[in-house]
Amino acid sequence: MEHFEYVLKILPPMLEGWKVTLTLFFLTLVMSLPLGTVMGIARLSHFKPLAWFMEFYVWLFRGTPLLLQLLFIYFGLMTVGIRLERFPAAVLAFVLNYAAYIAEIIRAGIQSIDKGQYEAADVLGLTRFQTMTNIILPQVFKRVIPPIGNEVINLVKDSALIYVLAISELLRVAKTAVMRDETFVPFIIAAVFYLFMTAIVQQFFKWVEHKFDYYR
Amino acid sequence: MYMIRALDIYKNFGHLKVLKGVSLTVEKGEVVAIIGPSGSGKSTFLRCLNRLETIDKGMIEVEGEIMVQNGPDGKAVYSDENRIALIRRKMGMVFQNFNLFPHKSVLENLILAPMLVNKVPREEAEKKALELLEKVGLKKKANNYPFELSGGQQQRVAIARALAMNPDIMCFDEPTSALDPELTGEVLKVMKDLALEHMTMIVVTHEIGFAREVANRVIFMDNGIIVEEGIAKEVIDNPKNERTREFLSKVLRI
Repeated sequence: MEHFEYVLKILPPMLEGWKVTLTLFFLTLVMSLPLGTVMGIARLSHFKPLAWFMEFYVWLFRGTPLLLQLLFIYFGLMTVGIRLERFPAAVLAFVLNYAAYIAEIIRAGIQSIDKGQYEAADVLGLTRFQTMTNIILPQVFKRVIPPIGNEVINLVKDSALIYVLAISELLRVAKTAVMRDETFVPFIIAAVFYLFMTAIVQQFFKWVEHKFDYYR
Repeated sequence: MYMIRALDIYKNFGHLKVLKGVSLTVEKGEVVAIIGPSGSGKSTFLRCLNRLETIDKGMIEVEGEIMVQNGPDGKAVYSDENRIALIRRKMGMVFQNFNLFPHKSVLENLILAPMLVNKVPREEAEKKALELLEKVGLKKKANNYPFELSGGQQQRVAIARALAMNPDIMCFDEPTSALDPELTGEVLKVMKDLALEHMTMIVVTHEIGFAREVANRVIFMDNGIIVEEGIAKEVIDNPKNERTREFLSKVLRI
C-alpha cells in the first residue's frame, strides 16, 4: 500500500520527464529521417566533393561518442560564442548523429538495388531523378525498414544521454528520486516506461513491414 | 530503308578488347539474330546500340540520326544528351533477367514510362497497356505483381512494357536464357508474332531453332568480330566458316 502511494507521488514528475524524452525522440526522428535520406543519396553523388564530404561527415559522427557530441555542441560552441539553449543543443546533436547512421543505411539500401532496375528505367527514357524517385527509393524504403527500426529503438534508449546537459528527461528524474528517497522503485518505473516505448516502436515497425508485403 | 547502321564498332573493357570492328545494318522490318559463344561480344554489341555501353570507336546511326561518330582524333564522340534521348526512344529493350519493377503491378509497369516520359494521360496509357497485355496473353494478370508471375509471364510483360513506348526497333538480349526450358516457347511465340507484324528486331539468342525459323538474317560473332553472316537458314544449315560449324554442332549437339 505504501509502495502504491509512493508510485502515485512520483508518477507526475516522471511523466514530466517522459514528456521531455518523447519530445526529443519525435523531433530527432522527424528531422533525421529526411536529412539522413538526402545525405545517403548525396553520399553516392557523381559530384565527388559532395560524396567525399558525406563520407567525412559520416565518419565524424559515427566515429565519436554521441555523449561527446552533446557536450561539444553545447559547451564547445559556447567557448566560440555560440550559445544554444540546452534542449535545442541536445536536439541538434541527436539529429546530426542519427542522420549519419540513417545516411549509411540508405546508402547501403540504394547500392543493394539490382543494376538491371537502373538499366530498365534508362532504356524506357526515365531521367536519373525520375529513376530515383519512382523506381529506386520506393524499393530502398522497403529494404531499410528493419535496420531503421533498430536505429529507432536505439534512439529511445539513447535519449537518456541528455542528462549530461542537466536536462530532466525520464531517467534523470528517476535517478534524482532514487537518491532522494533511497528506494529503487523509480528505476523500475523508468524501465517500464522504456519497455513500453520500445514495444510500441517494435509493433509499429512490424506493421510497416507487413504493409510492404504486397511485393517481393 | 535502314533502321540502324553501326560501322566499325570498337569497345574495350580496360585491357580486354570486347568488340574489334563490328558493323551491322538493319533494314526496316528485318529480324536479325545474333548468335555466338559466351564472351563473343554479342550482348555487348547489342547494348552499345542503345548506349547501355559506350563505344570507343565507330559510328552508330538510327533512322538517319547520328548517335555517335568518330571525332577528328579517331575516337567516338557522342551527340548531345537530348538528341540521344530522342534516338533511344525509338528502341525498345528486353533483358535476360526481365528487370520488371517489383514494386509496381503489371499494369503500372506498362504505363509508368508512357506517362512519365511521353506525358500520355493515364486513361490512354492504361487502354494501350491492356491492349498490349491482351496481345501477350496476360490481360488477366494486369493487377498482379511481378513476383506472382512465372519467368515466362514476366518476360512477356517485359516485352509489352517495351512495346508500350511505341518503339520502331526491338532489341532482345538473350530473352529466354534465364527461363526454364518449358517456358521459353511462350516467349518465343510472342516474339514470332511481333516478327510477323514486321517489327524490326535484333535478337541476341542461343535459340538456334528460333533464329533459323524467324530471323531473316543471322550474324555469328566470335571473339569480338562478325565471323559469318547471311540468310538465317543458309548459315545455320550450311555454315561456311569452321568456327561457325563448330559452334553450331556444339549447341545443336549433332
